[in-house]
Amino acid sequence: MVVLEHFYQKVIIPIKIGSFDISITNLTLSMFAGVGIFLILLIIFAANPKKVPGKKQVVVELLINFVRKGICFNMIGPKEFDKWVPFVAGVFIFVLANNMIGLVPGTYTPTSNPIVPLTLALIVFFTVHITNLAKNGWRYLKTYAPSSVPKWMLVIVVPIELISAIAKPFSLFIRLMANMLAGHTILYVILGLIIYFKTYFIAIAAVPFALVMMILEIFVSAVQAYVFAILTALYIGEAVNPKH
Amino acid sequence: MDPKVAALLAAGFCMGVGSIGPGIAIGNLVGKAVEGIARQPEAGSQINTAMFIGIAFAEAISLYALVVAFLLIFVA
Repeated sequence: MVVLEHFYQKVIIPIKIGSFDISITNLTLSMFAGVGIFLILLIIFAANPKKVPGKKQVVVELLINFVRKGICFNMIGPKEFDKWVPFVAGVFIFVLANNMIGLVPGTYTPTSNPIVPLTLALIVFFTVHITNLAKNGWRYLKTYAPSSVPKWMLVIVVPIELISAIAKPFSLFIRLMANMLAGHTILYVILGLIIYFKTYFIAIAAVPFALVMMILEIFVSAVQAYVFAILTALYIGEAVNPKH
Repeated sequence: MDPKVAALLAAGFCMGVGSIGPGIAIGNLVGKAVEGIARQPEAGSQINTAMFIGIAFAEAISLYALVVAFLLIFVA
């Protein structure tokens, strides 16, 4: 068994179509496992809903209500929030499932690989900008050159606006990836001390500390999913409620 | 100095110096948020939301430092 198991990708079933490599790796398996467990649990809990919710139904209603009221209503506004609940809830549950499955020993954290958060961030980026373009038409371009600014200042303002538009998905991507990577690195460093010093006495201090970090990791993975979803909702809210 | 040693030293400094600003920022943010909730407990949920967004933005800066440190260790 490798120490840094959750950092290496192992090809399990090699599949190649042309020059594209779409092999099944442990990342893919972990992602399927995480999303699958969440899906099955949600389907079981939400089966035959009643007017007066039972114990299982309350869990699902709590989750959906949290996304609907806590994230979408606050960020997108009372007019259009209902339309965006499926997208934001999908992003939230996907990120949450992928963060949580990484805490199971032996699995790979899908969100700690740069590709997965980058893809998610690009999905959010294109959703926001296409929504903005479809909703506001030519006024969308005016958000990059606000009319309240003096003409000669546009030389400075337009590049800044463009950079900030590109920095949004970039920071979304880096934040999720680095947070998930950092937690595992800390666990690895703490437990690696045992191997580095070659004595088991270090374990007396290292293992309880690693346990505390693991509990913190559970908290962090929930908070990062929340932050990702709330920033998605914030950017969508900026797109559907333009500044005048 | 060996380039690899310099890179490792720079990575340590990068992470250490890079976390000063976000540390101060998050301390300020949470302190003010707690003050606000203590003064007006019924606004707690709204303050919490704003606080988490602020923390996420402040934290991202130290994570950029982390990414640069990783690049220095593994790429340079």
